[in-house]
Amino acid sequence: MNLYQPYLMRIEEITDETPDVRTYKLKFKDPKVAADFNFAAGQFGEYSVFGEGESTFCIASPPTRRDYIECSVKSVGKVTQALRRLDVGATLGFRGPYGNSFPLEQMKGRSIVFIAGGIGLAPVRSLIWNVLDLRDMFKDVTIVYGARKVADLVYKRELAEWAQRTDAKLFQAVDPGGQTPDWKGDVALVPVLLEKAAPKADDAFAVVCGPPIMIKFTLPVLTKLGFPDDRIYTTLENRMKCGIGKCGRCNVGPVYVCKDGPVFTLAQMKQLPQDF
Amino acid sequence: MTPKIISESALAALVANLVAGQVRVIAPVRAKDNPEHADYLPIRRLEDAAFNGPLPRRSLKEFFLPPTEVLLRYRQHKDGVDLEEVRTTFPPQVILGARPCDAAGVEILDKVMGWDYRDELWFGRREATTIIGLACPGVDDSCFCSAVGLGPDSTKGSDLLLVPCDGGYLAQAVTPKGEALLNKEPLQAAPDAAAGQTVEALWQGPREKVAKNLPPVPSTLPEWLAKSFNHSYWNSLALRCHGCGACASLCPTCHCFDIVDQHEHYDQGERRRNWDSCQTGKFTLHASNYNPRKTQSERFRQRVTHKFSIYPQRFNSLLCTGCGRCARVCPAGMNLPEILGELTQLAGTEVKGASE
Repeated sequence: MNLYQPYLMRIEEITDETPDVRTYKLKFKDPKVAADFNFAAGQFGEYSVFGEGESTFCIASPPTRRDYIECSVKSVGKVTQALRRLDVGATLGFRGPYGNSFPLEQMKGRSIVFIAGGIGLAPVRSLIWNVLDLRDMFKDVTIVYGARKVADLVYKRELAEWAQRTDAKLFQAVDPGGQTPDWKGDVALVPVLLEKAAPKADDAFAVVCGPPIMIKFTLPVLTKLGFPDDRIYTTLENRMKCGIGKCGRCNVGPVYVCKDGPVFTLAQMKQLPQDF
Repeated sequence: MTPKIISESALAALVANLVAGQVRVIAPVRAKDNPEHADYLPIRRLEDAAFNGPLPRRSLKEFFLPPTEVLLRYRQHKDGVDLEEVRTTFPPQVILGARPCDAAGVEILDKVMGWDYRDELWFGRREATTIIGLACPGVDDSCFCSAVGLGPDSTKGSDLLLVPCDGGYLAQAVTPKGEALLNKEPLQAAPDAAAGQTVEALWQGPREKVAKNLPPVPSTLPEWLAKSFNHSYWNSLALRCHGCGACASLCPTCHCFDIVDQHEHYDQGERRRNWDSCQTGKFTLHASNYNPRKTQSERFRQRVTHKFSIYPQRFNSLLCTGCGRCARVCPAGMNLPEILGELTQLAGTEVKGASE
């Protein structure tokens, strides 16, 4: 089959996360494709609204839920705004899964701290549910999540669910000024919240996703906590078109983000030129 | 297989046979609007071709990666969307009289088009095409094929290479496809013996002529470039560059593309891939308005680095064939061979400086 031919998917469910972020639950129209489809947490796809074009989003649902995939999309560009005009039942195109993934096998038997800001929780959410669905295989699970303001927190129902769990610790915060009168979480920037959470670095992995400014100030905290560069993971979000190492758009130095990434360790990131 | 001599008339008969057999034959042809220019165009007979004419304006890239091509067609209806696949097999075509720099560009691009994911649209056309290269006399001072490991009689990318000689062309098969062609009527009737003529001896003059333009790019350049991302050389280099991307359009190896939907009627349209260039400001622009390459200097650095560091480190081949089109066409006078010369000097001094 032509590499650029997408599978067709049906929108099964639409969830409003924030005023401009929606989560789409999608199912393959062809049952054979659905049965054969596999992916790993961290991988992405090229989603299309026919007539508008393709866009790159991570798969935000875990591979342990086999019947569907989800993506969470902020309405900012041509395709994402077109996506917003669609209703349940509409047809989308999907190519993927593409790219590498988080090192789940290496993480087994270890502790994991998830750190996310804003919509950066989407790629992390796939891994969080993957780990929670296989909870016995991991040690401590800590989730540190923040957003600018309460309205910008995504997956609110799931945050409530994680807060209830006894086998995971959730720390959530909004930036100063972003709180509402009934806000029960912290009021702090993510790096400060991480210091408060103070997860142990022994035998632990850290996964960080969020806006560049958050990542910039979070990494030194992780280092101070004792996380080595090769156990800190993040994702690069470069503009892409093909997703399969042909179109030349996502290069960062020698790296094709679509094929060598999108998941990188901090050790790998430090080798890259500042071209992202 | 020993080279053989093909007469002009045997070659003309070959073209006639191919055309009669519904094979598209493409050759350099003098441009209708200006006979000082040439383009690669379909021909009906050999005399339509301008073998001794100027370098064709555009490379051969477009015969394998068209400037715009349909990836799929869609039709929306109340129950969903119907997709129509495009074919990935193509009718046979022969490119006759390819410049060695243009033929080499096609082979270099096989690497990126074939790693891991195989681009069927590219390879469908590759398989349907036979490339007959023609040794090049050297165009002008902008030629620098010999600086990038090729030469005016390089066989890279050609299935068969023709070198003008006494009595016609010395023909050297490079691939099984080229050998098969050489064994076909009417070329089979050509005398096998090359009468003591060798490509080496025949094309020494052009090789020497081109070699004067630029010394070979050193094998250490890819590594030096990878380390020199923040070198001050880049800062002011591209201040005069317009970011028009003409260099990339004419380049035999620039292959970056965009994928867009072209909505045609209220319920249907096409998804297309179109040539794109890292020289345009929108190339890496995020929907959020963030752009990792804000300045033209950053974009020009990407072009040079992709060709002389990223691609060689990944695919073991420079992403440049030294055709010189980018230097000739640039409205702002950006000159890649000159830049390469300067980078080579910088790399040499700094590597030497570091080891002292």
